[in-house]
Amino acid sequence: MTDALNSTMKKSEILADGFWNNNTIFAQLLGMCPLLGVTTSAVNGFWMGAATTIVLLGSNTVVSMIRGVVPRDVRIPAYITVIAAFVTVIGMAMNAWVHEMYLILGLFIPLIVVNCAILGRAEAFASRNSLLDSMTDAVAVGLGFTFALMLLGSVREIFGYGTWFGFPVFGENYPDFLVFILPPGAFIALGFILAGVNIINRRRGVFTTAEPGCAPGKHAVQDA
Amino acid sequence: MGVRMSDSKKRTGKSQRGISRDMVMMVVALTLVTVIAATLLGLTDKVTREPILQAQREMLHRSLQQVLPVHTNSTLDETLKIKTADGIRTIYVARDAENKVLAFAWEVVAPDGYSGSIRILMGVLPDGAVYAVRITDHRETPGLGDGIVRNKPWLDFFSGKTADNVRWAVKKDGGDFDQFTGATITPRAVVKAVRKGLAFFAKNRALLLAKTVGK
Repeated sequence: MTDALNSTMKKSEILADGFWNNNTIFAQLLGMCPLLGVTTSAVNGFWMGAATTIVLLGSNTVVSMIRGVVPRDVRIPAYITVIAAFVTVIGMAMNAWVHEMYLILGLFIPLIVVNCAILGRAEAFASRNSLLDSMTDAVAVGLGFTFALMLLGSVREIFGYGTWFGFPVFGENYPDFLVFILPPGAFIALGFILAGVNIINRRRGVFTTAEPGCAPGKHAVQDA
Repeated sequence: MGVRMSDSKKRTGKSQRGISRDMVMMVVALTLVTVIAATLLGLTDKVTREPILQAQREMLHRSLQQVLPVHTNSTLDETLKIKTADGIRTIYVARDAENKVLAFAWEVVAPDGYSGSIRILMGVLPDGAVYAVRITDHRETPGLGDGIVRNKPWLDFFSGKTADNVRWAVKKDGGDFDQFTGATITPRAVVKAVRKGLAFFAKNRALLLAKTVGK
């Protein structure tokens, strides 16, 4: 029944849902640890988002492929193994080819494993949908996550250091506005961003549909 | 939920004696997943091992360029190993075109940073004055302690300092080195580590010069 329901979903719907309507950060408020931890600059936000997107694409793809094979009772350990493998691969790849970024994000890369947004997509979407839909979903959710991280990173970097992607915005003599770089600034900036997102959604006449915690989004039909 | 209940009913019915088919399936599925994951990791390790070593070497090379005066030899290839109390220390030697020794560089670790160890590369001239200091790895708070990386004037203050032409402590402790707003522990740890590095040099200077000069 779930499959029948979801098969009527268009790709554009999946994309809009993952990127905006059901955005991991803006609507579901998941993945707060990397969000608040690494977004002291726009470029950090970009790389963290990119790493998460690749992990998501890998895990959604594999989970969708094995969805008929893995018994229900052991699906969570199986998914976590898949996710952990991809995270480790991404970590090693970044260490090899974007070494400087790896040194900055180092601590947060392994933590992608426990970003419950990723397990959430595996459980709520990839385990119930076709390969192509799952990959579409991964790209949409990943881009949405990256966008959110970059937005918060940009706000914090611009107000905190007066630069954007390392380039001065307010001239060379901008006094560092430290609160935006420190953790409280992340919460303050995120609050304003969420308020802005809500205003935009209200103007458009749509309301986000996310449920709290790791619960699946609106397209996951509960068995009960 | 419906599926799961019927599952478990079926299982209790079947598994009264021995192992049910469901359980075998679980073991097989999990084993397969882990084997595939392990293979993937092994392959990635094989592909990335060389590039990672290469990237670390390049990183070190770039840091060495920054803490040593302009030199013509390949510092990564001319190293000395000196035994110290806490293990073997690698010393990089810089020479000019006439093979004269210009400076030495080595890494010191400040174990007492605000969050974990701070790794510092320091270049020192043969007369015992610091040429330059760079931070190669740290986990200090962005915006506060990471001034040791971002604050160029603070780093440049080390240049030209010898073991006794400056008071090796932050101003709060009665020394000559600035601390940062909201961060004293980090600069204090770095200053202390560099001072110890100079003490190490003073102790081994004769040996280092004997091993390098005229060779």
